[in-house]
Amino acid sequence: MATENPILKPLLSGNHKASSKIVTDMMSESVPVKEIYERVLKPALYEVGELWEQNKISVATEHLASAIVESLMNEIYLQLRTSKKPEKTAVVTCLENEHHQIGARMVSDIFELNGWNVYFLGANTPQNDLLNYIRMVKPQLVAISLSIYFHLPTLESTLNQISSEFPKLQVLIGGQAFLRGALKILSNYPGITYLPDLNAIENFLIQYKHGL
Amino acid sequence: MDYKYLAETAGKIPAADKNAVNEYREKSEYLIAGINKSMSERHDLKELIGENNLAMMKDNHANHVRFIHSILKNPNAEVLTDTVLWVFRAYQNHGFAANYWAAQLNSWFHILKRELSPESYRQIIPLYEWMQVNIPLFEKLSNKTTEPGLSNH
Ligand code: B12
Repeated sequence: MATENPILKPLLSGNHKASSKIVTDMMSESVPVKEIYERVLKPALYEVGELWEQNKISVATEHLASAIVESLMNEIYLQLRTSKKPEKTAVVTCLENEHHQIGARMVSDIFELNGWNVYFLGANTPQNDLLNYIRMVKPQLVAISLSIYFHLPTLESTLNQISSEFPKLQVLIGGQAFLRGALKILSNYPGITYLPDLNAIENFLIQYKHGL
Repeated sequence: MDYKYLAETAGKIPAADKNAVNEYREKSEYLIAGINKSMSERHDLKELIGENNLAMMKDNHANHVRFIHSILKNPNAEVLTDTVLWVFRAYQNHGFAANYWAAQLNSWFHILKRELSPESYRQIIPLYEWMQVNIPLFEKLSNKTTEPGLSNH
């Protein structure tokens, strides 16, 4: 399914300028950030993953593409303007040893765009540090991203600790690990919500605002 | 059909008890060091993994132990089948030979026997036996599903 995603070529050839132009053009046409993420950047990265898997590109090219995407997100971030004063606080994080952080960053930006104050802890956050951080900033919500299935035991131990210490804290989880069956463990954690993508997150936040 | 067979038989692998799963996790560093050593010492290593793939092989061994621990703790037939297929596909695309899987699994049997208590070995080995007897099927299926879009990510 070779999609005609115009950003793929410049990402693979390391052409930061051309990649940036595609994104800034979309911004100036008022395409919502969520759409740029869901329709352009995410599919391009998924395709990069396929190409790596098939040995059509090297690890170096994969790193290059994801580094450019992160810098495009920095550019986008600078333009995120919300007039709303944040009322609620969220912590967005990846688990210990989880190095895929771009999805979590996108989630974090969507929270900010919806008027939240967000602490984005990024990749590979040790469990104890996450817990300490929650104690410190007392968020209304924690969002945890998981791409690799073998981090499931870490997710479980984190969820166990969170639900025993902060039973009222709203927890969201998401990421590609759940496309592969990891959702089964959620039956053990009735209070925890899985959401597949940014559209679902935005809907969730709208409902949340109206008292869920 | 073949996929269904794999997922069904994966669902029948007896679950290992908590002690065995914990012992597997506690010894994971020894297990990884053991498999790296035994594979690296092979004279036919280049034929098995291709050129310049030593780091990738070691990555695979470390990920293998993390993944198997995860599956022992939360058995999930579909995830197990999909992931083994993904590993076959991704590594063979990168120059690993089909024989690498048999060689690797043979080494696992020795290392697990050496490192684990007899009871934990007995509990965990059915999962490895399942992977070993199904190598030909994994081989066949992973070669079929290389088109993007079919590979689940
Ligand atoms: C870039 C990349 C990397 C980079 C990450 C850099 C970074 N700064 O993040 C690096 C080089 C570190 C990396 C490493 C590895 N990677 Co990698 N990587 C990728 C790649 C190409 C893109 C990831 C990405 O950013 N996707 C785009 C984001 C936006 O998508 P997303 O994460 O799914 O997020 C969306 C949703 O899931 C959701 N979401 C995400 N998080 C959350 C959280 C919440 C709360 C909610 C509600 C929603 C949500 O919202 C997002 C927007 O829709 C993928 C390919 C792919 N299919 O994604 C492979 C991929 C994920 N990697 C893979 C692998 C195997 C690895 C390694 C194990 C390789 C190795 N042998 O070492 C290591 C593991 C490292 C580790 N311990 O974590 C495989 C996983 C396969 C599998 N069976 O699980 C993939 C699929 C590649 C492939 N096709 O084979 N990788």
